[in-house]
Formats: sequence, C-alpha cells, structure tokens
Amino acid sequence: MLLYGSIRSAPIGEPGAHFTIANYVKAYADKEFYLLLLNSVYYALGTCTLTFLIGTFLAWVSERTNTPCKKLFMVMSLIPFIIPGILSTISWILLLSPKIGLINIVVKEALGLDAAPFNVYSMWGMIWAESIHLYPLVFLLMSAAFRNMDTSLEEAALTSGSSTFQTFRTVTLPLMRPAMVSVLLINFIRGIEAFEVPALIGVPAKISVFTTKIFLAIHQFPSDFGLAGAYAVTLLVISTVGVLIYGRITRKEERYATVTGKGYRPRVVDLGPWKWLTFGISSLIFMLAVILPIFVLLWSSFIPYYGVPSWELAGKMTWGNYHYILNYPLAATAFKNSFYLSVGTATLVMLLTSVIAWITVKTKLPGRAFLDTMCFIPIAMPGIVLGVSLIWVYLTIPIPIYGTIWVLLLAYMTKYIPYGIRAASASMIQINKELEEASFTAGGTWFQTFWKIILPLLMPGFTAGWIYISIIALRELSTSILLYSYNSTVLSIMAFDLWEGGQYTYVCALGVLMVLLLVTMAGIARKLGAKIGIAE
Amino acid sequence: MAETRDMVQIEALEKYFGEDKERVHVLKGVSLNIPEGSLYTFLGPSGCGKTTTLRCVAGLERPDGGRISIGGQTVFASGERVYVPTNKRPIGMVFQSYAIWPHMTVAENVAYPLTIQRKSKDEIKKRVGEVLKVVGLDGLEDRPAPKLSGGQQQRVAFARALINEPKVMLLDEPLSNLDAKLRVQMRSEIKALQRRTNITTIFVTHDQAEALAISDQIAVMHGGVLIEVGAPHQLYTRPKRRFTATFLGLTNLLNGKVLEVSGDSQPGKMQTKKGVLSFIPAPGLKKDQAAVISIRPENIPLHKTQPQGLENVVDGIITEAIFMGDSYQCKVAVADDIVAVHTHPFNAVNVGDKVYLHLDPASCNGLPADDKEGVDESMLGD
Ligand SMILES: Nc1ncnc2c1ncn2[C@@H]1O[C@H](COP(=O)(O)OP(=O)(O)O)[C@@H](O)[C@H]1O
Ligand SMILES: [Mg+2]
Repeated sequence: MLLYGSIRSAPIGEPGAHFTIANYVKAYADKEFYLLLLNSVYYALGTCTLTFLIGTFLAWVSERTNTPCKKLFMVMSLIPFIIPGILSTISWILLLSPKIGLINIVVKEALGLDAAPFNVYSMWGMIWAESIHLYPLVFLLMSAAFRNMDTSLEEAALTSGSSTFQTFRTVTLPLMRPAMVSVLLINFIRGIEAFEVPALIGVPAKISVFTTKIFLAIHQFPSDFGLAGAYAVTLLVISTVGVLIYGRITRKEERYATVTGKGYRPRVVDLGPWKWLTFGISSLIFMLAVILPIFVLLWSSFIPYYGVPSWELAGKMTWGNYHYILNYPLAATAFKNSFYLSVGTATLVMLLTSVIAWITVKTKLPGRAFLDTMCFIPIAMPGIVLGVSLIWVYLTIPIPIYGTIWVLLLAYMTKYIPYGIRAASASMIQINKELEEASFTAGGTWFQTFWKIILPLLMPGFTAGWIYISIIALRELSTSILLYSYNSTVLSIMAFDLWEGGQYTYVCALGVLMVLLLVTMAGIARKLGAKIGIAE
Repeated sequence: MAETRDMVQIEALEKYFGEDKERVHVLKGVSLNIPEGSLYTFLGPSGCGKTTTLRCVAGLERPDGGRISIGGQTVFASGERVYVPTNKRPIGMVFQSYAIWPHMTVAENVAYPLTIQRKSKDEIKKRVGEVLKVVGLDGLEDRPAPKLSGGQQQRVAFARALINEPKVMLLDEPLSNLDAKLRVQMRSEIKALQRRTNITTIFVTHDQAEALAISDQIAVMHGGVLIEVGAPHQLYTRPKRRFTATFLGLTNLLNGKVLEVSGDSQPGKMQTKKGVLSFIPAPGLKKDQAAVISIRPENIPLHKTQPQGLENVVDGIITEAIFMGDSYQCKVAVADDIVAVHTHPFNAVNVGDKVYLHLDPASCNGLPADDKEGVDESMLGD
C-alpha cells in the first residue's frame, strides 16, 4: 500500500529536478489553455447532464413505474457497459459521421436533405457518444437510490393530504437529492477524465480537452513532459476537488441510508395510458444506445470494406476481418497481455481490498480510516494523469519494469483499488460479526478464518467487483497508451492503432472479439463465484 | 456437591466502550466463580453487560481490567499483561444468531473445529456422527446450512461448539430467536444435554422464567454490576437484594424502617404505613435502616372476614379483579397503597369487597431500601 501511495503522489507532489514553474507559465499564459479549460468543463457538464437524464429516466421507469417490458429494459440498460469505450466511440463515428455515418445517410435520403443532418465531429457529438457510454453507471446508482428509499415516507405525505406532485417535490426529491448530486458529480469527474471520445472524435474535430492535450504533448516529438505535467496537475486538481465533494456527499448519503436503508418494496406508480409513452421513450433509447451501435459494429466486422448496409454488400459478407485480426502479428501478444492483465488485476485487487475492507469494517485498528481514504484517493486520478505520473517515476528512479506488462499491472491495480474497496466493504458490512467470531471460538486462527469463512461469505461482492474490474481493465486505454511498449501491447491499444490506420472493419472485428471475451470471462466468474460462495 | 472446583474465575472485571467523551463504563468490577460442571446463568435486563462479560470470557472482547481464568489457566490478567486469544481458549460458543456458516453443509459446519486442526478424515467423520447424534440431528449431515429450521440451526451450533470437547460452553441468549413453544422444548434439551455431558456452561438470558427453569446458579446483573448470586429457588424465595426481588417475577414492596432485628432468619419488626409488620431480614439489615418488605402476590392469602390469631394482617378494598383462569389477579387498596394479590380461582372475589390480607412473616423479605438501581417505583404491585 505504501509503495502504491508513494508512486501515486510522489511525481505529482514533488515536481522533481527537471520541473520548474516555467511549464506552468507556459501553460497558463497561453490563451489556448483557457479554451482548453472551457472545452473540458463544457464537455464534462454536458456529459453529466445527459447521462443523468437518460440514466435516471430508465432507473425510474424500471424501479417505480408499471411500464411494459421494464425487466427487459433493466437488463438492456447495462449492455453498453460491456462495450469498451473505444468501440462505442467508433460505432458512433460510423453512425453519425457526416460522410459515412449510417444515420446521416439514411435520414438524408429519407428527407431529401442536401447536407448531413448530424455531425459527430462537434462538441455535442462528443457529448452524445460519451453519454451513451457512461449512462449505465447512473442507471445502477439511481436504481439503488430508488429502491432503497423508504416509500412509507412518501405514503405518510400522501396520507397527510399532499398531492402526488407535492409529495414528489417535498419528500421524494429532498430524499433523493444526495444520491442525485453524487451521481452528477461522479459523471462530471468521469467526463473530465474521459479519453476515448476526445481522442477519436475530438482530435480530428480540433476540439481539445485536457486529456487529449496531455496525450499529444507526450506523443509529439520530442515529448514535452513538462507541459504534459502542468496540464496533468491542473486536471488532477479539478478531479480531486470533485472527488472530495463527492466523498462528503456520499458520507452524508450513507447517514441517510442507515435511517431508511431497510429492504422496502418500492411503490410502483400506475402510469395508466402514459405507460406507453415511457415504453416508447425507453425503446427509443435502446434503439439508439444498444441496437444501433451493436448492429453497426457487427455489420462492419463482416464486410470487406466499409459501406452502408445494402443487399449487395450483404452478399459479400466474410470472416476475412476476423481472419486478419487473428493473424495480425501482435494479436496473440495483445490478447494474452489483456487477458492476463485483466484477470490478474481483478484477482489481486479483490484479494487486497478484501483484507483492507476487513480491517476497515471489522476491526478497530488505529489508522483504519486513513487506510480507507488512501484506497479512495486513486479515484481522483484520471487515467492519463496516472500514466504521466508513472512515466515520471521511471524517469527519476529507473526501475526495470518500465515498458513491461508489470508496470501496466501496477497502474491498473492502483487505478482500480477504489472500485475493489467499494465492492468489498459493501459486502463485508453485511457479514454478521458473529460468523467470524464463531470461527475464532472454534479454534480458528485469523488466516484460517479469513480463508474459510470470510472470503467465501464475501464471494457475491468479490465476484461482482472482480467482474467489474476485469471488464474495465480489459478495455483500459488512457493509462496504457502512455505506458505500453511493443511487447506489452494490449487489445485496446491495438484497436486504437488500427483505427488510426483507418482499418475500420478490422477494428470492428477486434471489438466483437473483445466483447465476446468479456462476456465469457464474466460468465465463468459468476459460475466460479457461486460455487465457492453461497449459492443464491 | 463435595469439593467442586471453580472452572471459570472472574475477578474485578472492568470494561469500557467507546472513546473520549462517549466512553461508557459497561462492566464495573464484576467478580464471580463458576463451579465445574454447573449450568450457570447471567441474568439481567438487556444492556446490563451480560454479553460483554461472556465475550470477555471468550476473548472476543478485551477487558480493561481484572482477571479471568479458565480451568486454572489464566487467560486474561490486566496486571501481568496476559491475554490468550480466543482460538487458544478451551471454549465452545453458541451465538445469539447461531452464526451457522451459510456456505457450508451441516457436517462441514460441525466439523470445522476439527478440520482446522487437520484431523484425519475418518476421525472427523466419526466425531461429527457422534456429536450430531447427541444433538439429535443424525442423518442431516449433507443438508446445506441455510436449509435448516431455526431449531435445527441451533442444534448445529451446539454440535459445533461441543465437538472440540471444550471445558466451558458459552451460550448467548440461545433461545431468544425461537418461537415460544420451541423455546420451552429447547430449554429442557439444553438442560438435559448439559447434565449428560457435564460441561461447565454459561448461559446468558434476560428472561427470568428461563433462568429459573434451567440454572444451577444464577448471577443477577444490573448496570454492569453483579447484584447477587444464588440458586434459583433461593433467589426467588429469599432474595437478598431489592433488585433481585423485583426482577425475578412480580412482587409487592412496602417501604418502612427497621425497628428490631435479631440475627439472620429470625423475624424482625418494621414500621410501615400499615403498622408494625414482622419479616425475615436479609443478612446485614440493621436497626433503624430504611428498608422494604418484599412479598409476592401469590403468597398473600385473602380473607373475607378478619382472621384471628394471625400476625401481619392488613385490610383493604378490592379495586380490580381479573380472572386469568388459573387465578384471580387482584389489586387491593390498602391505606393509600395498592397491593397485588393472586388468589385461587375458586375463591370468587368482587370489586368493592372489603378484604383482609395475611402478609405471612415467613413470606415477607426485608431488604435494604437504598438498593434502588433503576427499579421504577411503579413496578410496585403491578
Ligand atoms: N461494541 C460496543 N460498542 C459500544 N458499546 C457497546 C458495545 N457492545 C455493547 N455495548 C454497550 O454495552 C452495554 C452492555 O452491552 P451488553 O453486554 O451487550 O448487554 P446485554 O446484557 O444486553 O448482553 C450496553 O449499554 C451496550 O450498549
Ligand atoms: Mg446480550
């Protein structure tokens, strides 16, 4: 832990010898900097607003209304989650690009327009592509908030004579406010640290944000580490402030939760004929967020050159792209690296955080609050900043792991510990203390108790955390792109390179393979988890 | 009962919870000795520190002062900095929630203490079979633990605690999660099991009926203090402390001042609002001391006419008479006090009747009055 801590903070905290105020002057004096700031904030605000609207609407539909097929919507809401960010970005380019975008072409022909109605290469195009990728998290968090709300509080208001709308305004909304604010904040942070969409759409569109600027500063020749650092620190400050506020709010939210967090059955609102409206809107969202992107990815992965779907092209469908990908010189290395990294990161992080969660939840050791905070810190560190800071560490102290898969493992672990600790402590809290005490009174040592009692009981949370981490680790791009080398290439980097090389159909085939790998891994993890732990 | 050794010794146990301002003193110098082979109960209202004491014996809680020994071995001594961890103490424990591990079968749960000692498979199998038979669960070895009823889970918890042949069994309110009928049944089973195995057992409960029914000895606790220790019959009929009298069943308390006492169990005299009454004094009761007479409702014969030649007769008016089937529960206004009286159902009584109550001196326990400790005056005769 301390090792990670020092890696995390050292390069940022102490500028080091070859780092002077000049970089900041250079960065801040440039008026481009303010444009950058404006762009980043605009982008993040747009993203968090749009994801909030979509996610909350779907959460409300599936938790609190009698909309038809809401179970289906619930499952479908999570699908975008499993599609790596780089792929969903590509799918939106393929759908909304003014020249080749499928939707553009279809709408143009249908309405007889001269120009393409949509342009993905714009700020709103970027916000749209990012939001479709990020809304599942809002959906999950808001569903939980709706579910945990004690509906008797609402009923009490109704029986006191307030109308449905008044109740919503005076009771439901204030009760939900902490959850809503924290969801907005977390998506603002994710918006500001997003990399894939700004890199793939923003760069060609000449709309720069901090993350892409840092990337370009390092990838230009010669690399300007100083300037990258100055931007990285600025980005870090913004996201740290966000995370600090978020931490305060969620702590408050948890206080609410202890009062009301019993297993209440949510009150379902009968929408009457309006349920067809909500059904329609939900279906539209799914059409846009799930069906179209997946369709365009699948379609492109089977055709020899990119083109609008037609019978003619359909006749030429081929496995050629898959063939190409599997025979691609780096493919084997990339698949192997990505697989090992994602499995290794998920397993190590979950084991580590299980022990940490035990300490912070079950013991009264001094310093446990500090430990908890330490584990939360990396969430404030955007992937690209983590990459920059690790580069610095190796520029200063040359440890032989630079450029190997180990540095990626270390980076991933640092990055995902906050997620692991959340999953682990949430289920640790639910384990009755007597269950482990029973093991001690039966003569078990601490290690035996942890291995035979706590870990199996933790399995549901462990598995959930493991699946989540392995998914996000497999598609990680923003940190890896600064730290990889030829031998430590991963799948997302390979996809990025192929895209940069204009080989769209190959990227799509690779993407489909990545999604298949993810689904298989998640499936196996669930099976294993259920076998070791408590069968539901 | 000749020459029984003390299996558990607790001396001046101190325990605080919380830090700084929120620090609360939970155990205030508790000392007690638990004889080998006995079923020993900690009884007291909830929050009085029973569980904490038990957990100190188990080593799950570290006391702030005092000394604990089990079977002659010191497991905790604050002065000498001795602290034997839970897993090294010769104990078996049944938790209030049973703490049956849901990811294991019945057999795996029960075998756990042996499994972690790396005993051979055959030996484990044999022992598990034996122990499950003792608790009446043979044949359920492969049942997953969550598929058990409450009573069965409890038996598994017992089997798991027994399998290591502990010197001391610790039971924390083991019956509180069962329904009323099963509770009575398991109560006798626990008692029978304890008799058969002869393992020293500490039983924690807040239910006085349960404590009376099951125990060899009861330690009455209140507010982190040990009030009194005794056998059930003695505690009920001859309590030495006012708290014991009120906590173990219903009783009437009559305030007064001691006029004369002469040695233990010789009747003394007390001035009360109802005149001078005779009573059996608690040890140490002194002349002129403020005291109470405790007399239980079922020990007060009720006469319609003034009985002749009896001591301690007072008269009053019946203000309430509730027919309960096995008795009438009456409230009788005596001067400006209310006395609760339970009479035989054949003895028909009506509200408004004038009656004479015989407060038989042998049933009147004179107890120190200063011993209030949270006992609400409204409990009087209620
Ligand atoms: N872990 C703890 N932290 C703080 N206070 C505690 C803790 N455990 C028990 N207490 C307090 O100590 C007192 C005694 O508790 P306990 O021994 O559980 O009582 P009981 O007699 O009901 O078993 C209670 O006031 C309780 O609130
Ligand atoms: Mg208790």
